[in-house]
Formats: sequence, C-alpha cells, structure tokens
Amino acid sequence: MRKKAVGLILLLAVIIFVGIAYTMKKEEKSQIKVSGYVGGEKIGFLEDEEVLSVLREDYGLSVDYAKAGSLDMMTADLEGKNYLFPSSSIALEYYKELHGQPLQSEIMMNTPIVLYSRKMVVDALDAQGLITIEGNVCYIDMRGLLKLIQENTSWADVGLSQLYGTVSVYTTDPCRSNSGNMFAALLANVLNDGETLTAEDTEEILPQLQEIFGKLGYMEDSSADLFNQFLKMGVGAMPMVAGYESQLIEYAAENPDEYEKIKEDLVMLYPIPTIWSSHVLIALDENGQKMITGLMDEEIQKLAWKRHGFRTETNGIGKDVGLSCVADSITQVTQVPEYKVMREIFEVLE
Amino acid sequence: MGKKLLFFLVSFCTVVFMTGCSQLRYMGSVPEESQTRIRILSGSENQELEEIIEECASQSDVQIEMDYKGSVDIMRELETGAENYDAVWPASSIWLSMGDQQHMVKHEASVSMTPVVFGIRRSLAEDLGFIGKDVSVKDILEAIRQGKMSFCMTSATQSNSGASAYIGFLYAMLGKQENMTVEDLNSEQLKSQVKELLNGVERSSGSSDWLKELFLEEDYDAMVNYECLMIDANKKLMEEGKEPLQIIYPYDGLSIADSPLGYVDHGDAQKEEAFLRFQETLLSDEIQSQIESTGRRIRADGVSEKNQSVFDSAWGIDTERILSPIRMPDGEVLMQALTLYQTELKKPSLNLYCLDFSDSMAAVGLDQLKDAMSQILIQDNARKNLLQATEGEINIAILFDDGILDILRADDISDESMQNLYDRIASYDTSGGTDIYNAAARALEEASKYPVEEYTPAIILMTDGKSSYHPEYFDQAWERYGLDIPIFSITFGSADEKQLEELAEKTEGKVFDGTKDLTEAFRSVKGYN
Repeated sequence: MRKKAVGLILLLAVIIFVGIAYTMKKEEKSQIKVSGYVGGEKIGFLEDEEVLSVLREDYGLSVDYAKAGSLDMMTADLEGKNYLFPSSSIALEYYKELHGQPLQSEIMMNTPIVLYSRKMVVDALDAQGLITIEGNVCYIDMRGLLKLIQENTSWADVGLSQLYGTVSVYTTDPCRSNSGNMFAALLANVLNDGETLTAEDTEEILPQLQEIFGKLGYMEDSSADLFNQFLKMGVGAMPMVAGYESQLIEYAAENPDEYEKIKEDLVMLYPIPTIWSSHVLIALDENGQKMITGLMDEEIQKLAWKRHGFRTETNGIGKDVGLSCVADSITQVTQVPEYKVMREIFEVLE
Repeated sequence: MGKKLLFFLVSFCTVVFMTGCSQLRYMGSVPEESQTRIRILSGSENQELEEIIEECASQSDVQIEMDYKGSVDIMRELETGAENYDAVWPASSIWLSMGDQQHMVKHEASVSMTPVVFGIRRSLAEDLGFIGKDVSVKDILEAIRQGKMSFCMTSATQSNSGASAYIGFLYAMLGKQENMTVEDLNSEQLKSQVKELLNGVERSSGSSDWLKELFLEEDYDAMVNYECLMIDANKKLMEEGKEPLQIIYPYDGLSIADSPLGYVDHGDAQKEEAFLRFQETLLSDEIQSQIESTGRRIRADGVSEKNQSVFDSAWGIDTERILSPIRMPDGEVLMQALTLYQTELKKPSLNLYCLDFSDSMAAVGLDQLKDAMSQILIQDNARKNLLQATEGEINIAILFDDGILDILRADDISDESMQNLYDRIASYDTSGGTDIYNAAARALEEASKYPVEEYTPAIILMTDGKSSYHPEYFDQAWERYGLDIPIFSITFGSADEKQLEELAEKTEGKVFDGTKDLTEAFRSVKGYN
C-alpha cells in the first residue's frame, strides 16, 4: 500500500514537473538566440550565470558561442552567426577589409597585456635589474627583457640551471590569436625605442621581430588554453607567458581556494610599457546589435570587471577586485600600430 | 517515513526543476538507454584509466564510450569534423590545436600530465653510467650508435610518444634548443645521423600502451614511453621478479604529454551538459588523486604524499625535479619532420601482406579488401595518414586460398610501382578454401630472402574464414627460418579469432578487428610497422 502511494505521488510529481519544464521550454522559445565567435579569454564571462541571466531576463537574449582566435574568426564561416567578439580593434579593421563596414561595433571592455611567471623566474630577472615592485604590483622592463631574448641568453645564464633553453616568453600565435598579436605589437613598439611603430620603421624593426618569434616554435591558438597550460604545467614547461590581466582576476574570482594556494608563487608582471587589448563586439545583424545593448548594461559591466577582470569605462579601479597584485590604473601604455603596419607584422610572422 | 518521503520528493523536485525534464535519470536506477552517451576519441595511454573512467561515468550519470586512436589519426579526425565523436582526448594538446581547424572544440582541460622518458634496463643503465647523473639525448644516442643499446619506440607519425621523442632526437642532433627550421631538416648530415639512430629501433608500434605490453613480453634493452606506462611496466616487472627499468629524463629532449580532454561541439546541448558533468567529475579532487595513483602527475610541483610511493625513487623517478620540456616546432616544421620520418628516416618496413582470396571473400568482401589496399598502397591516399612508403621499404603480397594463388612484389616505392602492385592485387578473383598457416609459412620463406635485421618486418594477414587447421605448416617454417617477425592479423567476416590469437601470441603480434571497418583496420596495422 505504502509503495503504491509513493508510486502515485512520484508519478504525479513527474507529471507536474514535466509540465513545468515543458512550459518553461516554451517560454524560452520567445528568447532570441544569438550566436557568434568569441576569443577564448571571454568564455568565462559569457558563461557567467549572472551575466546570462541579465541578458536573458532584461534583454531576451540567449547566448551561444564558438571559440575562435580574434583574427581567425574573421575568415571563419559566418553563416548563422549574429556577432563576433574579438579582442582588438585590429580585428575590427581586418573585418572591414574582408567584409566591409559592420552594422555596428563597440568597444565593450579593455584589458592590458601582462606577463605571467613564477617567483623563481622573477627573482632571477630581478637580479638582472629588470623588475620594479610597488607595493605588491610588479613591473618588468621590456627593453631589458628583449635584450636578454635577443642575445640568446639561456636561463642558466641568469642563474636558473633547472630550466632548459633560452629566456623567452610563450605567447599565442600572433597570426591567429589576439594576445599573441598584441604582444607582437608591443614588442615591435619596444624595439622601436618605445614609439608606436609606423610604416617608415618597419624595414628596420620587422626582421628583429621575426627572429624573436622564430624561436618560439609551436604556438597555441587560444590565450585561455595558454593560460591554463601555464597554470597546470608549471615553471619548467612555461617559465613566462604573455596573457591578459583579466585572466588572473577571473581565475582568482572563480577559484578562490586554488588561487590562495598558488598566489605566493605566481607573479603577474605589468610590462613597461604595455598595450591595451580592446574587446570589440561586432554586430553582424540586428540580433548582434541587441547583444551590444545587452552587454552595455551597467550590472554586466560591473560583473565584467569584478569577476572577469575586464576594465570598463565606469569600473576598473585596481583595489575593487581585491587582489593586491593588480595595479590601480594602467599608465605606461603604447598605442597599437595602425592596421597597415599590423598587416605587415602578420605577414612577416606568418 | 513521512519525513523521508518529503525529503525525497523535495530533492527529487529540485533536481527535476533545476535541470529540466531530460534529467530524470538522476533518480537512480534508470535504464542505461536513457543516459546520454558520449563517444570519446582518445589516445591509447588512457586505456589504463578505464576503471576510473567508468567510475566517473557512473558518478556523473553519463555513458562513456572510448575509441582509441593514435595522435595523428585524432588530428585528422578533427580536421574532417570528428562527426562520430562528442569529445577528444589526445595525449598532447598540440594535436588538438593543430587538428581543430573548424573551431569545434571547447571546454578543453588537461586531465593529467606525464613526461615522455627513456626506460632502460637497470643493469644496462648502470653499465652505461646513466644512474645518478643528468643524461642527455646525446649520451643515449652515443650508446645506441656504439651498439651498446637498442630500443623500442612508437611510430613518430602515429603516436604522440614516438613523435615527441623523435623531435627530441632532432633537436639534440642539431645541437639546437629551439627554432628548428625546414632548412635544418634538409641537412644531409642530420638525416644520416637520425637514420642511424632509428636503426637502433628494435620494434615499433602504433600505440604506446601496446608497446609497453610488447616490452613486457620480450627481452628488449630499453623503450621510449610515458613515465606513467614505465611505472606500470615496472610494477609488473617487479611482480615477476625481473629487473626494473631505470627511468631517464633526458634534459635536452624532454616532452610532457598534457592529456587534454575537450568537447567537440556538434550543437547538442544535452551532450554538452553531460560532457561537462563527466569532465568535472574527472577533475574532482577524489578522482584526480586516483589518477595520480596510476603514475600520472596531476600537479606540476610534485606528487601528493598519499601517492608518493607510486613514483618510486629507486627507479630514477624524481618528483621534485622541475620538468623543463623542449619547445615543439611550429605546425609546418612539425609536419615536415614527421613526413621526413615516414619517407626517409625510419627503419624501412618489410611488409608481407597475406590476403585471403578464398571463395567466401567473393563480392562484398573482395570490394572491401580492394578498398583497404588502395588506402595503403596508393600513395596519395597513404600520405593523408602519414602512412606512405619509406625509402628502401619492401612490399610483397601473397594471395592465398587453401594454396598460394600468387606472390606479387612492388619494384620500389615509387607512386607508380605501388599503384601497379595495387592494380595487380585488384585484378585477382577469388577461389577455393582457406589456409592461413600455409600463407604465413610462405611469408616467412619470402622474408628469409632479405636481411631482415635491416627492416621492421611484419606479416599482415587478412582472413575472413576458419582455416583448415595446419599449424604445423607454420611451426615448421618458424623453426626453420628463426625470424622474429610479428604476425598482425586482421579479422573479417567469420574469421576464427582463436587461430589468429594463437599466431599473434607465438610471434608477439596482434589481432585487429576488421569486421566493422576493414580499411581502418589495415591503416592501424600499417601504423605498427
């Protein structure tokens, strides 16, 4: 008898909830599904339940994405896509060259290029006079670092005989992914005595850039994958990698316990100078435009900074994210060279 | 009872409410068919994790089906869309990113890490002075060059451990730490040195796991393989009272396999969710600790105290040591290097194809056989899978029924000669009964006409039926010629697996299932040779 009752109640429950689920599903149908390509570093942001729920409830958008490098996505199949979300204005220029003026495009948020490394490496570079520390914020002299790289200095030469190979920075493929692309732009400017590289100076600078990148060998396509590998594989595999400031802030917000364990050893280095990566949303159609409106939402912009580390117009003061290694503001910045020059950079690095 | 029921209902409702109606199977004993099934294309080194994978599957209420292939195959599969798979799990992320040209992979995360190392029999390692010091690839190559040591490794074009070791060899021979270029690969000096080195390869294999198994069966000096498979081999060697392998981490040629598991997005939200549940379970502390207990590393900075004993320092394992791998060359150089391995540098194969042309093969069977052979012999097809012929390679086809129908040879490895061999095979028709023993004996006889030690020899035996049982034909030839040639058999139709297993066991070969996809089976076999 009891069993029967349980069975009946169960059945009833099933019916009710199947019903609810069905109606919910029906309601969801009135949502606009927007899909597009996104640089890997913004996936955490676009999977954030709070971000998604604001988009869903206030803007009627259900977001789908496929991961692609910022430049790669421009040549990818755009069939059925409503938006592109690359990580630089250069990608936007590339889009214009290939497809013409987009319906709309807006910079949603910014993040500077940083280097990630480990304490033992930073100590060794400090001994070379390359590191400046203010409070808990670390800066690295890019000119000095480049000199070590260009002179083929081995890690053993700077006192790290545990590490194999020469001093270098792992980066994503500059021809396929934005963080590598921005890092190449940064190096080009540094090689150009800190001035933004212009067409007149490419002849002198690009061969040097080519040589530096030639040493890097195989490069990942995605900054998110590179950062994860850096975290997992340790100092031996990746002594120093280029990435975005946002990556560490997001990691710490999403994995507070793990961050606690690694924060003593992991060091974020702000290059002097650095360069901004601007995350631009390109709307391919009206639904893509709705995505722009949605992402401009104040609540979303706040979440973008606090939880995902993207500096936005209204947010983006270092102490707000509660990490002492995050700089309050980013001051020493060089400009991304103009598109024509960046094109030349791609061409020599391809 | 009341309380319990209420609790049960509340939790039941919560689950249903939160996850939608498709998730009813959360409630315990639900038939397997209703579970979401995830097909994972995986490297063979994960075969050892099957129990753990099963546990994760049941914990996360997902049905997992593993399909094992080599790294190059996984890369190719991704390139062409990986339609039959929901996830990929190659040995190293380099294959994943090179293959994922269509941007279908997401949620990629490294499950564990293991370096590619040399394992050398302890007493030999001692003689060579390799214990208690930093050993370079150069030191090892010198020992091989002087004939003091031979070794086994997987095929560089089929398996990640072989490819990683091979790239390490190239760097060491070039005396470079990074920046390998296409010009470097064209150097005649480099080619002759690496060729000499690869001559020391005693046995090859398409799979790291099988190489370990083979090593345990035979009396080889050394192998290149993953640290985790070395640990597994050592456990077995110790159990058998044999001497363990000394594990050597060559500082100028070390690679780390980072075992990334990624979701292949075909737009099925339910599968994606199931995948994420499975992946999360796999990466949970409890399961990660279990994975570590199999000899895989889950952290870069050492091993947990609990599993420290697995990584026995008596075997040369140093978990404190910083593993500093070489840089993989860029995609273009890497592919060029692999092609060079396949076409020029690897020890040439002596391929003896024994092909069943008995009556039962008529119609469908014969068509499939022809298709399979066209994938292997016609070089434009073979190139796609880095299975093209190597300089100096010998290709002989023995067509049999209950007797020998014909013996065909390719004159050389040119595209034309290989095509010609294929054409001649394809023009044959079926007849008569089946006798695999007679054919295999004949293959040994043919092989005996060559200096077998200069080749990687294999008898590749495809049959679809039960043979008249004449094992003595083969046994006599095996005795008479005394050649150590493995028989790789491919089953087809109603082939008698037992007879083939016997032959595989006797010759340290392997039986491949060709009943589902004969072409695929032939390709796998070719990867072993």
